Amino acid sequence: MTETAYPPRWAEALLRTVLKPGDFESVSGDLLEQYRDSIYPARGRRHADWWYARQVFAFVSPGARFFAALFSAQFLTRTALDWFAPPLDFHTRSTVSTALGVGTLLAAGFWAAWRSDSFVNGAIAGVVTAGLASVTSIAGAAAMLAIWHDPRTMAAIRGSGGLDEILSLPLMMIFPGLLLGAGGGVACTALKRLLLFAKSR
Amino acid sequence: MAEILGAFEQAVLLAILRLGEDAYGRAILKEVQARLEREVAAGAVHATLERLARKGLVVSRLGPGTPVRSGRARRFYRVQTKGVRALNDARATVDGLWQGLRWPLKGYL
Repeated sequence: MTETAYPPRWAEALLRTVLKPGDFESVSGDLLEQYRDSIYPARGRRHADWWYARQVFAFVSPGARFFAALFSAQFLTRTALDWFAPPLDFHTRSTVSTALGVGTLLAAGFWAAWRSDSFVNGAIAGVVTAGLASVTSIAGAAAMLAIWHDPRTMAAIRGSGGLDEILSLPLMMIFPGLLLGAGGGVACTALKRLLLFAKSR
Repeated sequence: MAEILGAFEQAVLLAILRLGEDAYGRAILKEVQARLEREVAAGAVHATLERLARKGLVVSRLGPGTPVRSGRARRFYRVQTKGVRALNDARATVDGLWQGLRWPLKGYL
């Protein structure tokens, strides 16, 4: 009966995007075998699906997790600064934090493309980085809000764009994450070709 | 010294040697988990196998799938001469570090 059981489609689709094309069949086969052979019969469908999803997330580049943590740290630092040390003019602060965010997503794409020789993986790394970062950034901001919600802090939040911006901005970075990751991937591919060309001469 | 192997790399290489002809992804994962006596993510073993292949310590080939895998191919691994040399070096290094000490350690604190 378990030979007809399938893990969640979205998890298989994500696995396909994070693996090199030649690796998908064997790796997904290994996971499917374990899913059907031991996890599903022992723990049931819900636990087996959760197990499968965790396995897939373990394949998501550790680099993407590092860059996501970096992105979140930047976002939360900027948020804390705006709440506790609001400037008169946000322009300089915004320029610096935007540049850091863009740089982080470009670097995530560059790094993934460097490892995999594929600029497509750069785009995927950009999306995954921005997606993971949005979850941790929103959770972090919500935790900060749960601790600090006195009238003075709330006034500073309103002055810096309001709660809506804090809770929606990380999610709005997912599409730019795709573009910037792809950009980093293309830059990496171009640099690799240049290096190869220079070596061959 | 050919390669400096990490503990997890050694666990994976030794699992491939133990499994012989049957050394494919899931079997290697099970063997590593059994020897290390802990849960290991398939992704960790996959990343290690990829790294070992890049270093030229193992080679792989695709083999037929089975019904439980919905026919998806299995990737079988074999340790290369360079891999055996790296394992021997790793063992020699550890033996050298322990020379003159009695295991388990007692009375040094």
